[in-house]
Amino acid sequence: MNAATQASGAPVTETAVFRPDDFKLKNNADEIRVDTNFVSQSFWKEAVIRFRRKKSAVFGLIMILLITLIAIFGPGMNGYTYSGQNLSQKDLAPRVPGIESIGILKGDEKISTTNGTYVVNNYKLKNLSNVYYWFGSDTFGRDIWTRTWSGARVSLIIAVAAAFIDMVIGMSYGLISGYFGGRVDNVMQRILEIANGIPQLVVVTLLLLVLQPGMLTIIFALMLTQWIGMSRIARAEMLKLKEQEFVLASRTLGAGDFFIIFREVLPNIIGPVITQVMFSIPTAIFTEAFLSFVGLGIPVPQCSLGSLISEGFNSFTTHPYQIVPPIIVMSLLMLSFNLVADGLREALDPKLKEM
Amino acid sequence: MKKYALKRILLSLFTLLVILLVLFILMQLMPGSPFNDEKLNAEQKANLYAKYGLDQPVIVQFFRYVGHMLTGDFGVSYNISKNTPISQLIQTRLPISIGIGGMAVAIGAIVGLVLGIISAIWHDTFVDTIATIISVIGVSVPSYVFALALSYSFGFRLRWFPMLFTAKQMFSSSVLPSIALSMFTMASIARFTRSEMLEVLGSEYMLLAESKGLSGPALIFRHALRNALIPIITVLAPLIVDLMTGSLVVEKIFAIPGVGSLLVTAIQSNDYNVVIALSFIYSAMYIGIMLIVDILYGIIDPRIRLAKKEGAA
Repeated sequence: MNAATQASGAPVTETAVFRPDDFKLKNNADEIRVDTNFVSQSFWKEAVIRFRRKKSAVFGLIMILLITLIAIFGPGMNGYTYSGQNLSQKDLAPRVPGIESIGILKGDEKISTTNGTYVVNNYKLKNLSNVYYWFGSDTFGRDIWTRTWSGARVSLIIAVAAAFIDMVIGMSYGLISGYFGGRVDNVMQRILEIANGIPQLVVVTLLLLVLQPGMLTIIFALMLTQWIGMSRIARAEMLKLKEQEFVLASRTLGAGDFFIIFREVLPNIIGPVITQVMFSIPTAIFTEAFLSFVGLGIPVPQCSLGSLISEGFNSFTTHPYQIVPPIIVMSLLMLSFNLVADGLREALDPKLKEM
Repeated sequence: MKKYALKRILLSLFTLLVILLVLFILMQLMPGSPFNDEKLNAEQKANLYAKYGLDQPVIVQFFRYVGHMLTGDFGVSYNISKNTPISQLIQTRLPISIGIGGMAVAIGAIVGLVLGIISAIWHDTFVDTIATIISVIGVSVPSYVFALALSYSFGFRLRWFPMLFTAKQMFSSSVLPSIALSMFTMASIARFTRSEMLEVLGSEYMLLAESKGLSGPALIFRHALRNALIPIITVLAPLIVDLMTGSLVVEKIFAIPGVGSLLVTAIQSNDYNVVIALSFIYSAMYIGIMLIVDILYGIIDPRIRLAKKEGAA
């Protein structure tokens, strides 16, 4: 306004003409640089940085990768199979070539009887100088190393499959319920509340009574019980997002309901969903182990971490080494998944306070 | 509030009915019949069916079934102890399980609260790190691993407590199973208390209380803990439920004659009647606890109470 009146008050009579030497280059290539302190990052890049800053989460991730790798290759690393029995070599303590020369894991085992405690080496007693069971052998003479890792494999497959199926079901349910709202939401939420009112223990127990015990049945049972938490998270996220402008824009452009739900909103809630999946994996591992312990797990001679613990329990006062490997592997797995999930939650949700 | 409570009660009852329906259908689907004795001829079988009302229409059977279940008549056990009424089997076992469960909740809640408060007050210190490690392990490691470890170290090696449950030494033989069961509750409550306390401690009314001259225990217990406790009640319900699951295995490890070990035995010996009766009892307890906690939460937290009123008006 001001400039306009000035311009009209004092009309410009001369037109300015630039000459080539009016401006010259400053040649400051050395001085200018991109700000690296507050450089803008993509969401995922920043998430990775935040995740790596959390030591416990990185530790968890490494443990998971390590256990997965050994679960894949471990059972093939020695000559034994998970079901091969050798009754003449039963209840042998752990013995590892190489390490045995430094005095540990050489096949000794303490036996406590009423006459006192003494150390025996069954390898020597039975003249098995060239036999090595890295984790020992069980009451049927099966190699515990091979069984532990094939058990870990089974447990991991069950847990990951169940978590993945839960994610698909729970997420779809929650997203649809949240998106449509109103009566649809009301009915869907009442159904969910009733499903949530039935204890998981009861559902799983009854299901396994009716169906054949086995890997698929356990996955199915986990599927029926674990989707509720996921659907709650998906619904809450949907309620937050569905009023936002990008949804409105998409609808204005003519997108259908399901396009908006699965192509517009879904990519935006992937953070909380992944976190929830990571949290549901240890739950699945635990439930499987629990079922095996109760006797509803994987049928013999197949094994899972749970069934190994259950077998080891029968002789855990006399041969404690039989129960130790599966317990440690399972505890480490559950711990690692929890740590990674914790780390992911903080990495994917920058708003979350440092607590 | 009344409307809310009524709605919750109705929904709970309906859930219970759905569970009964599922259990009933399962009983119908079970392979074989209770009278698959080869010595019985067709007429005797028909008599038996008539005696137990199995010849009537399904819908009549269902409502009779609901009536029986609600009055505590769960039928007889087939395999575990033949022809003993299940209610009688449960009667002696339920108090033991509830006793150990109650002890576990008490231990878990008290130790968890203390751990949580300590790590919130001295947060980001050495004490906090230790408490956090304990709670992460407690959440991640299943209760029966603790049970095995405790039973091996304190029961078998040190012989401080009996390894197996005996009715004579009721208290000392309940100690180990209660501790094993309480670990998960303890860890979750510690984690939750810590984050709630941190939030409360950073709030402005705490600053006000502090500037009024309050300090020490009065500040923590009267002002901070009270407000932090409210959300903790909500996590207690799912924790009690986890306890029920955990008790199955822990009871088996310590040979406790409770309902958990009864369910395990029943599953293993295919005693369907017992499994179904216990499923019903577990579900009823679960629904009851959820209902109580929901209503309690509404009563305790004025924000919810007021919000509900405004919503209703």
